[in-house]
Amino acid sequence: MAPDPHAPLLQVRGLTARYGHVRALEATDLTVDRGELVAILGPNGAGKSTLLRAILGLVANTGEVRSEGVVLPRADPVAVASAGIVLVPEGRGIFGPMTVAENLRLGAYRVRDRREVERRLARTFELFPRLSERLGQTAGSMSGGEQQMVAIGRALMADPKVLLLDEPSLGLAPRVTAEILETLRRLNQSGLSVVLVEQKAPLALELAVRVHLLSLGRTVAVISPDQVKSHDELARYYFA
Amino acid sequence: MTQADLVLQSLVSGLGIGCVYGLIGIGFCVIYNASGIVNFAQGAFVMLGGMITHVLLVRYHVPYALAAFVAVVAVAAVGVVLERLVVRPLWMRKAPVFVMILATLAAQIVIERVTFLLVDDQPKTLPVFLDWPPIMLGRVAINYQSLFIIAGSLAIVGALALFFKVTLTGKAMRACAIDREAALLQAIPVSTMLALAFALSAGLGAVAGILLTPTQYTAFNVGVPFAISGFIAAIIGGFGRPFGAFVGGLALGLVQSIAILWLGAGLKSAAALSVLLLFLFVRPAGIFGAAK
Repeated sequence: MAPDPHAPLLQVRGLTARYGHVRALEATDLTVDRGELVAILGPNGAGKSTLLRAILGLVANTGEVRSEGVVLPRADPVAVASAGIVLVPEGRGIFGPMTVAENLRLGAYRVRDRREVERRLARTFELFPRLSERLGQTAGSMSGGEQQMVAIGRALMADPKVLLLDEPSLGLAPRVTAEILETLRRLNQSGLSVVLVEQKAPLALELAVRVHLLSLGRTVAVISPDQVKSHDELARYYFA
Repeated sequence: MTQADLVLQSLVSGLGIGCVYGLIGIGFCVIYNASGIVNFAQGAFVMLGGMITHVLLVRYHVPYALAAFVAVVAVAAVGVVLERLVVRPLWMRKAPVFVMILATLAAQIVIERVTFLLVDDQPKTLPVFLDWPPIMLGRVAINYQSLFIIAGSLAIVGALALFFKVTLTGKAMRACAIDREAALLQAIPVSTMLALAFALSAGLGAVAGILLTPTQYTAFNVGVPFAISGFIAAIIGGFGRPFGAFVGGLALGLVQSIAILWLGAGLKSAAALSVLLLFLFVRPAGIFGAAK
């Protein structure tokens, strides 16, 4: 099936996922259009990470995931990633013993054209100038913030249609988190579609066009960021 | 010969056999890193390398170099078949690693018996690569086959290091070893990498068998002792560290040759297993520390 340029970049319908016999995600819908940044909020165990992992096919799941109208296989993460749905997992998943240069190169694994790789590298260094100075360094020896830059930089090397981020601020100092989120804002403004799972709700709300609230594996509301702020109970819950 | 000459002479032959153990050990590590499986069919690859070369050379009069090349390619293909036929179906069913290890042991036995049926049970040898008189260093004789073994092994280890360091495929294989899920997320075809790891290990085993057969012999049942030696080499070096395994192989070869000299050939295996026990008791992570 040929891609339909008018269909959403990511459209999830009725996605259900389980770990063994435990259902972690129940019939969830999610739509991301061009240039949108969608935030997923919810308490621990709400199924936020599971949603991202199920989209990639990393956990057993049923339902439908389409990108530009094309149905993506449900148990083939390589196919989903190749279709441009790129996940920066919780804990970053960098290749610690390898250098920054090797990590970035592997992000563009499917690209064999050297000039194209160079072009993507240049774009990544524009966002993260620090990485260009640390190319030979072992990624695992960097600070948490720098490792997150490697992880996001590596994902960008794949030239994603939709970038999925699972708690990029986890374990980072507030100043570093602000830096990372500022980068995400710039990326989003340049047209990249993003799905952001974030515990630190206020940060996510500043960037998002839409917020999905998850609880116990179910979508309880899809609202605008302003509604979250104005809704007393939610505000107390997320800003406490 | 003085005692010192004897020791030197033993060390030279120990170095040669040690290189072979090292190559087999690397084979263990490459598969272990890609899959978490200890592949006990590794010895079958060594046996097949020597055996296929022998059959092509003696029965079909194929030129030596071509026979060796065909043997390496054929054994690499056997490695891929083993992965597709034995390992992958278990992998897809999420079988415990323990079950997959047992399955490779079963595969070892099957390959051994099929070879027995197709060839016979007689020991086979290969001619030395160069039939020149040994080089004399004082009273220590160094035969050319030992030099081929050492030079060939070093060349392979060097080529392997370059492959893992420089090529995109080599880097992708390392990435799979470090974090399989993260590799999937970069669209690296992890299952292809697993097949490639089996091909690479099998090819290495075949080369080890071809290098060694002229100085020893091969027969349908030589696989298991070689697998054990290679396994010990990998343990000494720190399981999962290819270049540690090579150093481990050298150490094992040297210890064994000295044991043969001082304790007699009957205690060769006892010496090797003592080294294994020593490491398991004192330093289970090996010289360089286990990779995972």
